[in-house]
Amino acid sequence: MERKIPLPMLILAILGFCYLLFPILVVVLAGLTTGEFLTFPPKGLSLRWVISFLNSEKYLSAFFFSFKLALMTMIVSTILGTAAALFIARSRFVGRTALRAFFLSPVVLPGVVVGFALYAFFITSGLGISRTIWGLWIGHILYSTPYVIGTVGASLATFDVSLEEAARSLGASPMRAFRKITFPNIAQGIQAGSIFAFIVSFGQFEVSLFLSAPNSEPLPIAMYNSLRYKFEPDAAAAGIFAITLVIASVLLTNRLVNIRRLLERQDG
Amino acid sequence: MVYVEFSTISKHFGTSVAVADLDLQIEQGEFFSLLGPSGCGKSTTLRMLAGFVKPTTGQIRVNGRNVTALPPEARDIGIVFQNYAIFPHMTVFDNIAFGLVERKLPRVEIKQKVDSALAEVGMTGFEDRYERELSGGQKQRVALARVLVIEPEILLLDEPLSALDKKMREEMKYWIKNIQKSVGITTIYVTHDQSEALTMSDRIAVMDQGRVLQIGTPVEIYEQPASRFIAEFIGESNLLDGTALDVHGAVCSIDIDGTTVTGRLTQNNAAIKGQAVTLLVRPEMIRLHSLDASEKPKLNGTVREIIYQGSVVRYRIQIGHQHVMVEVANRPDLARLDLDDDVEVYWNADSGVAMP
Repeated sequence: MERKIPLPMLILAILGFCYLLFPILVVVLAGLTTGEFLTFPPKGLSLRWVISFLNSEKYLSAFFFSFKLALMTMIVSTILGTAAALFIARSRFVGRTALRAFFLSPVVLPGVVVGFALYAFFITSGLGISRTIWGLWIGHILYSTPYVIGTVGASLATFDVSLEEAARSLGASPMRAFRKITFPNIAQGIQAGSIFAFIVSFGQFEVSLFLSAPNSEPLPIAMYNSLRYKFEPDAAAAGIFAITLVIASVLLTNRLVNIRRLLERQDG
Repeated sequence: MVYVEFSTISKHFGTSVAVADLDLQIEQGEFFSLLGPSGCGKSTTLRMLAGFVKPTTGQIRVNGRNVTALPPEARDIGIVFQNYAIFPHMTVFDNIAFGLVERKLPRVEIKQKVDSALAEVGMTGFEDRYERELSGGQKQRVALARVLVIEPEILLLDEPLSALDKKMREEMKYWIKNIQKSVGITTIYVTHDQSEALTMSDRIAVMDQGRVLQIGTPVEIYEQPASRFIAEFIGESNLLDGTALDVHGAVCSIDIDGTTVTGRLTQNNAAIKGQAVTLLVRPEMIRLHSLDASEKPKLNGTVREIIYQGSVVRYRIQIGHQHVMVEVANRPDLARLDLDDDVEVYWNADSGVAMP
């Protein structure tokens, strides 16, 4: 199927792409500079700062901390988000829309507000989790779960409940009907949501700024703190690794989920 | 023998009443249709029998067993949905095997049963297809096979033809009826399409606003509708206004613009005498060509419109200030009429149904 795109549209699309991809290009090239300072365009290309990043205790531990945090956040967000999306989609009470809006509100609210609100709450409530991994984890879960609710909710919207009813009347218990029929049909949404949760958590800055513990900083905070005092290109090199990780996770999901087959199914 | 029994079943959704005080008795092996406009409660009734909806009051018994509180998986009822609900992530084979797998049958037996179910619905060779590779009619066949293979006590069909095109619908109508007959399974069919109900059913319950208005065979429903609503909902009706003159048992003589005709009363009602009544006559029951000059009362009319439909010709006839549609078989021995011809309109005494 070939579709002719009008030339003005094509030019706009290309400009749009460039606009979106330019910052990434800046980070990647700045990370590959040979110079002493962050500059763009870079002064010559080398792996000097990449190697420096790989040898930097500070950045490596931040990178793996962020990775672990994002993974843990992803697991909890996926479970909570899927459960919440199922509840919103299946229950028939009056406040359903309001509840949905409430669940999705962390996306709409500025991260600073969410971060500050949690910080203030942790401090004043005396839970003892302000500036700890646990508090940070809770913050990230709160911030990531709406993305799971969104994607799972979208796949539930196209899921035909009579499939589940058919399974029930063919003899499947509610749990088995969910596992054998509903789950495989919304798995794409769950998977997409969990990747979203991972990426959102990995790149989270504002909430982390308020909640992260001084001795275990996620990567964005480590980069920020480092850039405040010295303008060194290893921050950009760290950026390269962050970008690589996100792209890898998206590609991996693409392979797992097989988006083309998902689309095919929806045509039929 | 009564196989399925609804006793004073009601279903309320909040303040709205979907089904009110429903009493139904369905015989074993019967093809029973619930017919009515959308929102009449027919689907809710079916879903209560399937176990997806819990009745507010009343009891449902199947084969002597009270199933009212049982979940769907404990009911042994097969249901075919309007959109067939073929599991999209499974092959045709796995779809049909689903109920057998849930019943933990041995593999060999499952294969054997699925194969014979496929053969029964004429889908042998489609085992490895997915839902997206099937046409509407094929999905229907798979959906039916998936249900019949578990040999349920009752088969429920929820508007199974409404997603098909007209030609396919005609074909599947007879096909489903034949399968049902050969299997001999008690079947409850929900539809808003009167022609489907008339063609396929042993008995029909006409529903409106959560209530059953009339239960009867297709002939009874069509020829002796219990109310004006049913008459207008099922088939095409001419409704003539007149005045009841005299009542003898179930027969009523009616004055229409000065001519006296007779009609059967839907219920014995002597009090109707002297009151305004509506006489229902089906278009195909009316005759325009007086072949025998008998003593039948005739109304004088004028041809106002001619609609040629090939096998039949339809005339709109004006009688006084009223109009009737008349359907006449296109036969060489029946002279074709022209616009503004004056005609004599009559029908057999049995063909008119008088209603208050």
